Amino acid sequence: MIAVQIANALALASLLTLLASGLALIYGLRDIMNFGHGAFYMIGAYIGHSVAARTNFWLAVIAAPAALALLGVVFEYLVLRPLRHRGAIDVALVTFGLSLIVQQVIVYLYGGASLSVSAPASLSGSASLWGATYPTYRLFLIFVGIGGCLLLTAWLRWTRVGMYVRAASQRPEVARMMGVNTNRLGLLVVCLSTASAGLAGVLAGPYLSVDPSMGGTILISCLIIVVIGGVGSIGGAVAASVLFGFIQVIGAVLLPGIAVLTPYMLLIVVLIWRPGGLGGGRLE
Amino acid sequence: MSAPVDVSAALVAKSMAVSRWSAPAALVILAALGFAVPLWLRSSFYLGLANQGLILGVLALAAGFLMHQCRMVIFGVAAFYGAPAYLFAIASLNWSWSPNAAALFAILGTMLASLAMGFAIVRAKPLAFAMLTLAIGQMLRQLVLITGLRPITGGEDGLNIVFNGAFLGLSQSALATPARFWPVAWTVVCAVVLMVFVATRSRFGRILRATRDNEERMRFSGYDTFAPRLAAFALASFIATLGGLLQVLNSSFASPELLDFSLAGNVLVSALIGGGASVVGPIVGGVAFTLGLDQFAASGHLELFTGVAIVIVIAALPDGVEGIVARLARRRGGGDAQN
Repeated sequence: MIAVQIANALALASLLTLLASGLALIYGLRDIMNFGHGAFYMIGAYIGHSVAARTNFWLAVIAAPAALALLGVVFEYLVLRPLRHRGAIDVALVTFGLSLIVQQVIVYLYGGASLSVSAPASLSGSASLWGATYPTYRLFLIFVGIGGCLLLTAWLRWTRVGMYVRAASQRPEVARMMGVNTNRLGLLVVCLSTASAGLAGVLAGPYLSVDPSMGGTILISCLIIVVIGGVGSIGGAVAASVLFGFIQVIGAVLLPGIAVLTPYMLLIVVLIWRPGGLGGGRLE
Repeated sequence: MSAPVDVSAALVAKSMAVSRWSAPAALVILAALGFAVPLWLRSSFYLGLANQGLILGVLALAAGFLMHQCRMVIFGVAAFYGAPAYLFAIASLNWSWSPNAAALFAILGTMLASLAMGFAIVRAKPLAFAMLTLAIGQMLRQLVLITGLRPITGGEDGLNIVFNGAFLGLSQSALATPARFWPVAWTVVCAVVLMVFVATRSRFGRILRATRDNEERMRFSGYDTFAPRLAAFALASFIATLGGLLQVLNSSFASPELLDFSLAGNVLVSALIGGGASVVGPIVGGVAFTLGLDQFAASGHLELFTGVAIVIVIAALPDGVEGIVARLARRRGGGDAQN
């Protein structure tokens, strides 16, 4: 029973980690708070739904992040570059406005009803988890979540580009002076962020429902996580995602009536205890 | 050599004195004329829209004040819109309080809660602040939707309020009549515009703007930067709460939609349309935005309108929110920018 709850918490945390680390990555490098992140996640889910319905789920898992990475290029050149000399609040507002537009376009294309995506045959069964049966798909989510974190950490810590990203997030001017192309780096990070949002979206399909309000709902959770984690910190975002997952699941077991409020209580408690959040505030 | 300088200085001083009093005089005349609007705007549909516009304008004034004076953006402005409505509804329905008492309770309750929140959040950096207010608004929305609280909050259906008596002499049906409600809304608008006018032009406003521009310098110069910002947050909360109260008095309905975070889009766009230039701007912005929204209401694409409006308004203001401030500062000859 406890193993099942822990697995549930980790499955939710995996999804949130994919999203929140992308959000934190853009913020850390570019000082941009992307309120459209939930919209990218939603687009990923709908692309995943369309591709999975026509072909198969695994193709959707590849197609949605790829499409979202391309969308990231468009986002970078049409939205972020033209607004690069503007204040953070302006950019946040524009991305918020765009997410409202995207939501309406999705309703126009797919209708407002909630859609379902079925897990592939190999993952639709259940596995034994210390005596309890547990849906295989959620174990797969946990696997992807942990794998994603390890890959991201390895990329940031042990590759040259990862080093550039860390450098540019700490001292953009110095990094530029040392010959780092921060424009190209910015584009790369935006694509990575939108692609991981797309991956999260397509993976969310069989786990949660696919509907036009999914982006807004998860955006709020991600913003809470990023603030708890210390804005812009990847490690903090991952830790906060896990904390968020556990609090959510524990809340659902112990305080079922008010479980929806537990994330907000967590936010308030963390901020009173540590106003800057858990992390250091920079990519590390 | 010094004589021409003195003359021009005197002229500047004189013209500044004129401009200093012409704006308030115009505002007073405008305030008085405003009460006559129902006399020439006969259509109760458009007057109703104008009432909605004033309410949105009051929220925009609150958000704009905080945005321009402190560079703090209330993304969760919906909290101040919905909370007084629910408090008013609960006091009226569950405790059978009179509308006057319920209104007072709604204002005091919301203000107490926002002061408590203010203590925790005004220290936050601008973006964190925006997200924290968003989280608070969203928390309230989740709170009223909790199944266990359904007997009190009405869940998804909201609460239909029956007034126990009259609010300041106006019955529930009178408040629902656009022509009767207009004077109430207009009085509140005049009062809050005056409040913001006085606040921005006082020493308090100067401290806020100086803190906004360089908090470290202010602290270093021996100023407390926390209390003024908390006070600014409290003032903005109070104004927005009045907006929420107007809403519930007019519609006598409290629903979770009031707490929807897309309201922030409408409010911030209204504030941006109005610009940082004047205290009247956000009110005009609110009315203009409501009229625009009405054009889209028939097609059911309200959020599309909000989204497009945000993008266009920000793209059309090339220097953005902060740019308006800078341009104004330059226009005033580098003197103390009022906004």
